[in-house]
Amino acid sequence: MYVSDIDMLSPRSLQECLYLLENEKASFRLLAGGTDAVVRMKEGKWQHDCWLNLKNIDELKFIAIEKDEIHIGPLTTHQEIISSPLLRDHADVLVQACREVGAAQMQNMGTIGGNIGTASPAGDTIPALFVLGAIIELTSLTGKRHICAEDFFIGPGKTVAFPNEIITKISFKIRGKHDLGIFQKLGPRKAQSISIVNVAISLSMKEGTRECTGGRIAFGSVGPVVLRAKKCEAMLALGELSPDMIANISRVAWKEVMPISDIRASASYRRDMASALLERGLYRLMKRWADDERKPF
Amino acid sequence: MKENHFKYIGRRVPRVDAPEKVTGTLKYMTDYHFEQMVWGKVLRSQYPYALIKSIDISRAQSLPGVICVLTHKDIPGFNGFGIVVPDQPVLAHDMVRCTGDAVALVAAETKEIAEHALSLIEVDYEPLAPVTDAEFAMSSKAPSLHENGNIHSHVIIKNGDMDAAFEEADVILENTFYSPRQMHAFIETEGGWGVLEADGMLTIRCPGQYAYRDRLQIARALAMNPARIRVISNPIGGAFGGKDEITVQIYLALLALHTGGRPVKIHLSREESVIAGIKRHPFKVQMKTAAKKDGTLLANQVRAVADTGAYASLGGAVIALAIEHCCGPYKIPNVDLEGFCVYTNNGISGAFRGFGVNQVCAAIETHMDMIAEKLGMDPIEIRKKNAYEKGDRSSIGHELKTSVGTLKTLEIAETCELWKNRETHKKDSSEPWKKRGIGVATSFHAVGMGIGLPDYGAATIELMPDGTFKVGVGCEDIGGGNGTVYAQVAAELLNCDIENITVIQGDTAQTLDSGTVTASRSTYTGGKAIAAAVPHMIRLLTEAASTLHKVEPEDILIGENEYYALTENGEQLLSYKDLYAHLQENRLPTKVEGHFMLPKEKEELPRSGGAPHHLYGYLTHLVLVEVDTFTGETEVLRVVSIPDAGQVLNPQGLEGQTEGGAVMGIGYTLYEDVLMDGGYHQTANFTNYIIPTIRETPLIETFPAESMEETGPFGAKGIGEVVMIPIIAAIMNAIYDAAGVRIKHLPATPERIYQAMKTGEVRQ
Repeated sequence: MYVSDIDMLSPRSLQECLYLLENEKASFRLLAGGTDAVVRMKEGKWQHDCWLNLKNIDELKFIAIEKDEIHIGPLTTHQEIISSPLLRDHADVLVQACREVGAAQMQNMGTIGGNIGTASPAGDTIPALFVLGAIIELTSLTGKRHICAEDFFIGPGKTVAFPNEIITKISFKIRGKHDLGIFQKLGPRKAQSISIVNVAISLSMKEGTRECTGGRIAFGSVGPVVLRAKKCEAMLALGELSPDMIANISRVAWKEVMPISDIRASASYRRDMASALLERGLYRLMKRWADDERKPF
Repeated sequence: MKENHFKYIGRRVPRVDAPEKVTGTLKYMTDYHFEQMVWGKVLRSQYPYALIKSIDISRAQSLPGVICVLTHKDIPGFNGFGIVVPDQPVLAHDMVRCTGDAVALVAAETKEIAEHALSLIEVDYEPLAPVTDAEFAMSSKAPSLHENGNIHSHVIIKNGDMDAAFEEADVILENTFYSPRQMHAFIETEGGWGVLEADGMLTIRCPGQYAYRDRLQIARALAMNPARIRVISNPIGGAFGGKDEITVQIYLALLALHTGGRPVKIHLSREESVIAGIKRHPFKVQMKTAAKKDGTLLANQVRAVADTGAYASLGGAVIALAIEHCCGPYKIPNVDLEGFCVYTNNGISGAFRGFGVNQVCAAIETHMDMIAEKLGMDPIEIRKKNAYEKGDRSSIGHELKTSVGTLKTLEIAETCELWKNRETHKKDSSEPWKKRGIGVATSFHAVGMGIGLPDYGAATIELMPDGTFKVGVGCEDIGGGNGTVYAQVAAELLNCDIENITVIQGDTAQTLDSGTVTASRSTYTGGKAIAAAVPHMIRLLTEAASTLHKVEPEDILIGENEYYALTENGEQLLSYKDLYAHLQENRLPTKVEGHFMLPKEKEELPRSGGAPHHLYGYLTHLVLVEVDTFTGETEVLRVVSIPDAGQVLNPQGLEGQTEGGAVMGIGYTLYEDVLMDGGYHQTANFTNYIIPTIRETPLIETFPAESMEETGPFGAKGIGEVVMIPIIAAIMNAIYDAAGVRIKHLPATPERIYQAMKTGEVRQ
């Protein structure tokens, strides 16, 4: 079968798209930004019958705030996330992660729904969604399901979504007044690289102090799926986030990850880097907290 | 830049090809689509080393849309190519020696059909255990990959008394350095067009670095008169040495003979280019260097082993140049140097900007830094102390007869802002866990082919009906901007505006054989050839003018863009158009030629493989780096490039070279390596082959140390390669200055730097 034999359907509405998924006999693949699809086609993979091109489904492109929740449509591009003032205020960690996705061209084409659907263990936006506590909405012709980001991914390229479902919304709570987040990525170079290790951190701080009341930490590229670092998280609220405390928390990180060796890095380096990125990220967050609050610690 | 009286020479003349390249209107040859075209594809070997028992093409042939399927049986002439030794089969016959080996060719109506047809070709292989380590390949245990064994070449240079020197030494250093398999990573992968014209001419349009030699290699494989083959090798989407050897020209030629006159196109995907394209030789360099307490170098012992992969290509010349340059631009009285070029089943290595000097410069310049540190000397001072000057004897024992700029480049380095304020710059790190360091290194690179190889240039100048000049030089513009220099030289010497010059390059039908675009030679060679042609054109025009006005040639004056005849009726103006009309009406020639032989050394050092060269370009690099001690990531923050290119013909062009070279050197030192495992490429494409982007590109300053090279065009020498050489060691030295670790295995990835810091190989 040739790549040029693959058909493409471009539904104009979500309803039409869901109908096709439910009733057509052909094997479909959803096409969002196409940044992975192009690569896979070139490799001769993904030899399905038909692309379902989502580009025209405008109802899946939105960034909104409703009560205490932020809602993002799955066809929102990385670039749209980066330039959203709302998300800069409420999801700095996601904005930073989107900045690290590929090059400008990738950010212009690639979508957050596509990044989730592709389910790469190195996907940059996924750790950010973990620490934001994001909920992913799946819709089929017969109903909706809401899955916590952490439960959504089951392996490299594998999610809990059924073939008749598509991602229709990503939502998370607006951030608290003293919450802040950071995304740290180590790649073989600064620009346009696939993560060797990445980490997303979000902290809730106690005003006027270096005390943390709680937080989330998620590592990417260190296992078959993105991982929450719960031991490290538990230590966040043990006391002031002093340099010593930060070093102690980070020292535990290597126990939380289960990386492999590949062409980009060895497992042992990845393990060390989980600690290093967490430590560096916490230092940078505390510096920002101090600068933002203009409080001497 | 010094003031001069020239209109174009030494001026910041914008590149003549800039508008079309910047705006994207230029079409590279692989951008073209012709009516009636067919697609060609190459079946590559499935194994790095195997016997071929049979090849069955019948299923592929019967696939609808397939036009032809060719194997070694369809080669009319000699089944082999290779610039020095034609040891690489065009299409494998009984054996494959690397996964890049071509086994069969297909032409089909579409690319997809051609690809599908490849999968239908049944090759019965008997896989053999591949030889993947150069040292192992040299041992008696390894199978012989070629008739004469696995050592393709062995070069030796010896001088003085090593034992006495090591005895006398106060400092002795001994280290082993490993270097990566760098990829040229040109923007345009290998590809082109072939068509058999109605009149029986075979036209091959394929980017290359020497159209005439490509034509010869095609003719040899086709058993065809080269005069019936036209090769067009320009324009080129980058080459850097990677298109010096035959890429797809012979495949295009073979297919074109079987497509019924339809043009056939081949354009390698990046993945195929990674597997089949040549790479920079990975080296293992063992070096032992001795010095006296005062910093005087006493001895250097070097053993370098280069992995040339399955075929020689230019590997023998690469290792010879490496050994010629492995002592740096210094006077070391006692040397014992040897190099091996070794066959393995690891792809194919060949020409690449720097040509072996990069790998050895990294070693000697690290040793210079280490000796300076041991002796408490300034790293620039120790280099100045040992640098040779014109008239001195080099480490390999020949007298330097042409300009040498090393001392001047080092003096400029010492006085530049980055070096003078280095302590301040180093303290200025952006975050507490980042450490800054500054490194220096100096090197040199030969200009021209060396002893034993023909080295000549030729140019044509033709007066056109519209009164412009068409300047033809065989040397292609592989990205360096030599076409602009040719236009400058021609316009300056003809005393016309540069707009009156059109430069034609790389076309066997329109240009004379002018040698390769390699060895940092094309500005020097082409410039001199044009300079040799110009007097002939001036004589032609002067004679035409004097005949027209019936005056003596002495009464003709050359003006700017015009000629004057001093007649009884006063000055008569003659435009180039007038002169063309006269020549044309009288059936007089309108085209002239100029020829130039590059100067060479008279005596070859025995067993050196072609050393010494007559001319060298020199360069000193300074760099400022910042190392993240959490991760081992290194960022190059500033580069100062101080070239001795002789007289600078175009400062803007020179900066293009120094900047591009610096970035390529950064890539080599920090990121780039094509990884192989068991003879298979682990690196597939740019997903994992990491080259610097604009975000990794630092501030690069260029301060030329202009020497006067009497033999060169307007005093110029070549610079295209040395611009990427010393920066490698300069970054390695700066990493040491910052983080206290010596990285001897490049690239210096974050992981390697981190592990070195972690395992405590840190300076006390």
